[in-house]
Parts: sequence; structure tokens; C-alpha cells
Amino acid sequence: MRARGAHRVATAGVVTGALVLLLLLALPVAVLVMRGGVEGLRQLGGDAELRQSLMLTAAAATAATLVTALLGTPLAYLLARDEMPGSSIVSAVIELPLLIPHPVAGIALLLAFGRASPIGDSLARVGLGIVGSPLGITIAMLFVAAPLYVSAAREAIARVDRRYEDVARTLGDTRWHAVRRVTLPLARRGLIASAVVMWARAVSEFGAIVILTYNPKVASVLSYDRFTARGLDAALPVAAVLVILAVVPLLVLRSLRAGVGPAERLS
Amino acid sequence: MIEAAGLSSRAGRFVLSDATFTIPANAWGIVLGPAGSGKTTLLETIAGVRRATSGSVVLRGVDVTQVPPEGRRVGIVHQHGYLFPHLSVSENIAYGTRDAAAASDIARRLGADALADRAVQSLSGGERQVVALARALAPGPDILLLDEPFAALDQRRRVRVRAELRRLQRERSMTVLHVTHDFVEAGTLGDIAMVMDGGRIAQVADPETLFRKPASGAVADFLGAENVFGGEVTRESSSANDDVAALEFRGHGLTLSGVGDHPGGPGHAVIRGDEVVLSTAVQHGTSARNAIAGTVLEVARDGVLSRVTISAGDASLVAVITSASAGELSLQPGVDVIATIKATAVHLC
Repeated sequence: MRARGAHRVATAGVVTGALVLLLLLALPVAVLVMRGGVEGLRQLGGDAELRQSLMLTAAAATAATLVTALLGTPLAYLLARDEMPGSSIVSAVIELPLLIPHPVAGIALLLAFGRASPIGDSLARVGLGIVGSPLGITIAMLFVAAPLYVSAAREAIARVDRRYEDVARTLGDTRWHAVRRVTLPLARRGLIASAVVMWARAVSEFGAIVILTYNPKVASVLSYDRFTARGLDAALPVAAVLVILAVVPLLVLRSLRAGVGPAERLS
Repeated sequence: MIEAAGLSSRAGRFVLSDATFTIPANAWGIVLGPAGSGKTTLLETIAGVRRATSGSVVLRGVDVTQVPPEGRRVGIVHQHGYLFPHLSVSENIAYGTRDAAAASDIARRLGADALADRAVQSLSGGERQVVALARALAPGPDILLLDEPFAALDQRRRVRVRAELRRLQRERSMTVLHVTHDFVEAGTLGDIAMVMDGGRIAQVADPETLFRKPASGAVADFLGAENVFGGEVTRESSSANDDVAALEFRGHGLTLSGVGDHPGGPGHAVIRGDEVVLSTAVQHGTSARNAIAGTVLEVARDGVLSRVTISAGDASLVAVITSASAGELSLQPGVDVIATIKATAVHLC
């Protein structure tokens, strides 16, 4: 009897804890959407600044994601196959941006690529200024979100048994040919999911971007700008639209996770 | 020809050490050994998908140790097939060749043509192995590495595929290295066989020699010899330089006469159960050098054969005789018997 009573108390404790956490996560978002959602969607038609800001945000996040996929997938492959010298150091370097406060990341980027730096100066001379440009926004997004892509892509590739690649090579494929014909198709769902996570993270970035490129304004900066300049009511619709748009990658991720890839089906 | 000289490699913590052997061109080599003895690592190192840490791999007379797998022109079939799950069965078979006719011909000969339209995920384990075999053969390799390729096939299909593969091997003059746990398969297919143990090659010989004259007690034990006794071997006659001498073995309370090339010292006596003759009275006028008195401990009938265990010295001696003989001798626990063994049937190693 005592044991059953203790079990009930423990169950009640777990359920209550879970509900409190769920409430903490869901309540602010729900309130925000309820108060500003309809107005935000209505404003999309007439607020050119908001529309441009959203398009800039999406375009920069997409560019950052594509560049990372192009450069980060080979890196993720080498890390997954444990074939990179000093891979633990490389992994630490890749994960570091996740741990740096994002305004600090912005300051670091400013120092490395701002006009006072040799790289930033050189780029500015050929018309590729980092500060105050869409390029700067893309670089800031890439810096803070690329680690998510590389880590997730590494996991996705590591789940593909290396022997598939080995068999392809005994059938005449070179190493990279085998990766292209076998490993990447088998890791495809995981790689897409990694890109979606990165894209979503890039869209939501504020701290690094606001240091590097206040103007032109991405959606998160616009929301902050309106809040500081015109108050809560002005910021609400922008913020609510950002939350509603975040549902899109969430749904894509859910559908990717719900499906089963070819390698999983076989096993 | 497949030749390995002092070949070593690593698979995680497992180490393949100093593998040295030669499989002549057009021969069928068999690799036997307990699980985890390094059989798969050996095949993968020969195929080049696992790097050799030392030693060399020579294929067709050419040192390929530093050649990547795609340059070795070796087909490999894994136990689990590793069919590409994102491709259809026919795409899998044609993966390594541009000759669609060759791919479809090999599929037909192995009975995989009926599976062409099936999804890989819907295949049974045996069907996957057949498709994996067709895929490895389609590019026309002259060296084939097989890692238990028939393990998941039902008996009927196994016999058929095995026979077809044997025909293909002769037609195409292929050299084969085949990992199996099936001693019958080893005996029927193998021109040369090796036993691996703990990452090393314990013995290389033709299958008959391997089974009759195992190089060590461990090899004899793995190959299923019914009687393996540890003890001391003494050379009785001939000079120490002669290859073959009369030998005496003492161990487990047994004294056995044998013939062989053992140099003397610690060793094992190996006697196959079908070499032990049982009688209920001492046989006079026989050439057999060993007559051991014992008592029947157990009679296990398995169809036409019976496995009779008798106490002999401090050991148990197993004789495999026909069930008819066991019946005629009225063998049952407690019956006193004489086990007679020819000296030439006592293998000392």
C-alpha cells in the first residue's frame, strides 16, 4: 500500500512538472499570437517595411543555409567517418559559436570582417562590405547557425553504415563517387532536416545581426526597433508574424521525422 | 591468385595479425574460424576497404596493398548483403556495370531475375544474398570474396545457387576466397582451406588435411574433432631429423601410440570419433596399436549413427559408430567395452 502511494505521488510530481514546463514554453507564444497574430497578418498586405524585412530575412537565411550545406556537408562527412586529423579540436571549433553569447559573436564578426580589419577592408574595396549589408546579415546567420547544420549532418551521415560505401567502391566507384551515389542519398532526409533546423535558427537570429548590420533590418531587428521606438503595440504584429512563420519549418521537421528513410526501412 | 604476406590490419580494437597464405589462380579458398576470429576483417583488407597496417596483398601477381578498392577489381559479398536501399533490385544488380545484358544474364543464372521489380526492403534475407551475389558478379570480377553468402538461403536454394556459383567460377576462371561456418560447404567447394583464431591464421591446408591433421588442439576442437586430449608427446623411434616417427602420447591417464612428425614435448592427441572401433571383448590378431578398456557412459542415437561416450583413463572418449552396431553390441551405460584405435588414426599435434 505504501509503495502504491509513493508511486502515485511520484507520478503526480512528474505530470505536474511536465505541465509547468509546457505552460512556460507555450504560454508566452500563445499570448503573443493571440494578441498580435491577426493584426500582423493583416499588416502584411499594407506594411511594405515588414514585407521587405521578412523577404530579406528569408533570403539571407536561405543563402547562409545553402553556403553551409555546400561547405559543411563534406566537413560533416569527414567528422562522421572519423577521418579528419584533430577531429575533436575541429568539432570544438565548430561548436564554439553555439556557446558564445550572440552579441559577443556580433562583436567578434565586426572585429574580423569590419572595415577596420584587413579582410573587411579588402572586401569593402570590391563592393562587398560586411557591415550594414545583406552580406553581413548572411555571415552573422551563418556564424551562429552553421554549427547546428554540421552537427546534425554529421549524425545523419554517421547513421549510414559505412559498408554501403565500401561495397560501392568494390563495384568500381571512387570514394567521392560512392559518397555521392550512396551515402548522401541515404542520409538525404537527415541532411534536409539539418538544413531546416539551421534555416529556422538563422531566421530567428538577433544578437549577432544587430551588432553587425542594424540596417537593412531583418524581421527580428525590425521587431526590436519598433518595440524601442514605438512601444509594445507596434512591435506585436511583427513579432506575431515571426512566430507564425516559425511554424513552417516546424511542420517540415515533423513530416521528415514522421517518415522513415530507406536505410531505416531496410534495418 | 590471392596472396597475403604478413598482412595485418585493425578493425576497432580487433587486430588481424600476420596473415600469410596463397590461393592459386582459379582455386576456391575457404576461411573457417569461430566468430570474431578475423575472417571478415581479412576479406575487407584484401578488398582494400580496410587499410593494411603492415604486410602486403598481391592479386594476380601484382602488389595492390596501396591500391584503392575500386582499382582492385574484386567482388565482395557480405553476409548481410548491404543492398543499396534507395535503389531497386535491378538497379542494385547493375550498379557496378554498364553492360545491362551481363547484369541481366547473371541475375537469370542465379535466379534473381524474378526479383527485379521488387523493392529491396521487401526481400527476405536469402533473396538479399542472391541479389548481392548477382551485384558482385555483374561487373565480371576474376576475384570474388564471399562472407557467408549462403547463410540465409533455404536448403534448396542454397544447393542450387552454390552449384551455379561453382559453374560460374570455372567458366570465368575466378579465384574465390569464401568465409563459411559450414564444414560440408568447406569440404565440397574448397581447394584450399584455412582456419583463423584470434586474428591469426592457425593453419592453411587442403580441406582433407585440415580435418584429418589439424595443426593444433584449438584447430581440432573448432573443426569438431570428437576427441582432443592435451598431454606429452615422446618420439619413440627414428632419429630426431626424420620427418615421420613412431610417437607415444601420455595424458589424461591415456597412453596412445601414434605416427607423425611431432618433435616431442607438450602436444595434443586428436582422434576422430569414426576412427574409434568398439568391441565388447579384446580383439586378437589386429594391427591396431591402441586398445583402451572403458565403460560406456552414454549412447546418443542420431539417425543411422550413434555417438558413444566411454570412460577411458581420466578422460571421456567418443566413438561414432552405426546405430546398428550399437544395437548388436547392446551398448548402454555401464557396459564394459574395448576401444581400438590404429596408430595412424591418432594425430599428434
